[in-house]
Amino acid sequence: MEVSFALTGKDYVIVAADTTAARSIVKMKTDQDKIKILSPHLLMAYSGEPGDTLQFAEYVERNIRLYQIRNLYALSPSAAASWIRRSLAESLRSRNSYAVNLLVGGFDTTTQEPHLYWIDYLGTMTEIPFGAHGYGSYFALSLLDRYHDPDASLEEGLATLKRCIDEVSKRLVVSPDRYKVKVVDKDGVREVEL
Amino acid sequence: MEYNGGSVVAMVGKDCVAIACDLRLGNQALGVSSNFPKIFPITDRIYLGMSGLATDLETLRERFRFRVNMYTIKEEREIEPQTFAHLVSSTLYEHRFGPYFIEPVIAGLSKTPSGDLKPFIAAADLIGCLNFAKDFVVSGTASAKIYGLAEALWEPDLEPEDLFETISQTLMNAVDRDAFSGWGCLVHVLTKDKVITRTLKSRMD
Amino acid sequence: MFDVQSVAHQGPQSRQFNPYTENGGTILAIAGADFSVIAGDTRQSEGYSIQTRYAPKVFQLTDKAVLAVNGFSADGKMFVKKVKQRLEWYRHAHAKDMPIRSIARLIQTMLYSRRFFPYYVYNILGGIEDDGTGSVYSFDPVGSYEREACRAAGAAQSLVQPFLDNQVYYKNQTAGQDESFPTHLPLPSVLKLVVDAFTSATERHIEVGDGLEIYVVLKRDSTAIQSMEGVQEVTTSEEGQRVFYIRRELKKD
Repeated sequence: MEVSFALTGKDYVIVAADTTAARSIVKMKTDQDKIKILSPHLLMAYSGEPGDTLQFAEYVERNIRLYQIRNLYALSPSAAASWIRRSLAESLRSRNSYAVNLLVGGFDTTTQEPHLYWIDYLGTMTEIPFGAHGYGSYFALSLLDRYHDPDASLEEGLATLKRCIDEVSKRLVVSPDRYKVKVVDKDGVREVEL
Repeated sequence: MEYNGGSVVAMVGKDCVAIACDLRLGNQALGVSSNFPKIFPITDRIYLGMSGLATDLETLRERFRFRVNMYTIKEEREIEPQTFAHLVSSTLYEHRFGPYFIEPVIAGLSKTPSGDLKPFIAAADLIGCLNFAKDFVVSGTASAKIYGLAEALWEPDLEPEDLFETISQTLMNAVDRDAFSGWGCLVHVLTKDKVITRTLKSRMD
Repeated sequence: MFDVQSVAHQGPQSRQFNPYTENGGTILAIAGADFSVIAGDTRQSEGYSIQTRYAPKVFQLTDKAVLAVNGFSADGKMFVKKVKQRLEWYRHAHAKDMPIRSIARLIQTMLYSRRFFPYYVYNILGGIEDDGTGSVYSFDPVGSYEREACRAAGAAQSLVQPFLDNQVYYKNQTAGQDESFPTHLPLPSVLKLVVDAFTSATERHIEVGDGLEIYVVLKRDSTAIQSMEGVQEVTTSEEGQRVFYIRRELKKD
């Protein structure tokens, strides 16, 4: 069962996703990275229909890169999120649509602000202070309602993320045991160990 | 309509109009966002509200922005509310047999031949059947509740501040009885010389 | 011609008798400090057809209790009949009227006894408690009930209840400096709200209209009732409760 979380804090966004690749009841892999680095200040966690996920994520990754090569600057988080949303919305009303849910987190270097977008496979998009996809959302959102602080330091943000992960481990029937956590801030993107 | 939830209402006052929406975005019963406005400015004196499927809401917003920009460039003037209402209607009807799941509400001030501004409201169903009402129009998951309140609270020729109170009470009390709407409200009151925009705190359950 | 052979080839067929229908209409009750108002419209419909423009939905049970019944009107009629019968038996056994809280509990047990073939009715019971306070009890079809200050039920419940939340409970309203909202409204205000609620519901709901019947149950020495237009006194009991009946026309389209 796939789980992904993301939250903003003071000048950063944390994005976390489990690392299991499952087929039916079998775990095929436990170290899959489901967070793409789209540009120097942009992260995207993806989940959903296996196959669609990677295909769509790579399509997004290449197109965002192409924009950067052509224009010599990267899309802002809001512009990138809008483009991704539109791709999903157009795909939805096509003959075969992508069933992919996303959390797009980025740091806008022009305004020095962190942004996080929740996007589902229909192309529904909203900017949020924190969010989740999958069964994790039923546990994490209530915790984040209680503990999220938009001005929290990175350490505090990671502690809040830890609470979410621990709760899922404790209460979800088939819970993932490993997560990949990435942070984006003014210095760019990096992976962190919990 | 119940997939994401949400409600919009617009009312006519004395030389003013008001339009209001809730701020919830849900995934069926799960609340996802408490900051999801459903009303957008089209020109300085036209506001468009939409309720229904959130992905179509965003898609239509982009579409209308494009079409209104094209209109403004070609005609070298701003679009009138009536014209915009028909633009909305025909855009929706283009998709008659595979519609966008959106019920739009339009509020605006239209120019009369003498140069005065006249309140204008309209609503449409998801395939673009227009409803030009003289009092109020509603859409969304709390529409029945809004009708009940608006019918009892609204009266003709309300001044801007009274119209604000009427539309706010109508919307807030309606969405408090609707599981799919709520989580805060957004109200715009359009008058001759300004637009009053207020975000309302409301029950968060 | 009916062909037995071909019917046999069509495979199994099932036919089900549906014992329920929905007859529209709306009921409403509001409790005051020493009175209770119970109201209902008089339209009875099935689908898009109006069966009658005058079918009472509000019934006086005792000198201090009035019951409004909404939903499937045949079940409603039968249910009121049975409640009245039980109340008569109670009178014969105890030589007094049943207290309103006991009527409420009686209604619960009567509804729940039909848990698996329910009376398809929403009940609202209004009247005066033994302590003299006005009361309203609302029920679901299988007997869940609650005492409250006001309740709407039926076809236009979704139109009327939020209006009552706003005007009776003052929801989403804030009192001004050194002001406070009353816990109970005076009778004239309540009657105005009831009439407003029904005219609004009539305007926007096709199953509501034709006529409005309002019952007012007053405590003994209450001075709440004014010389209102078309008010008609129904009963005065030895204990002193007075029941009034008010009828208003509603739009018929």
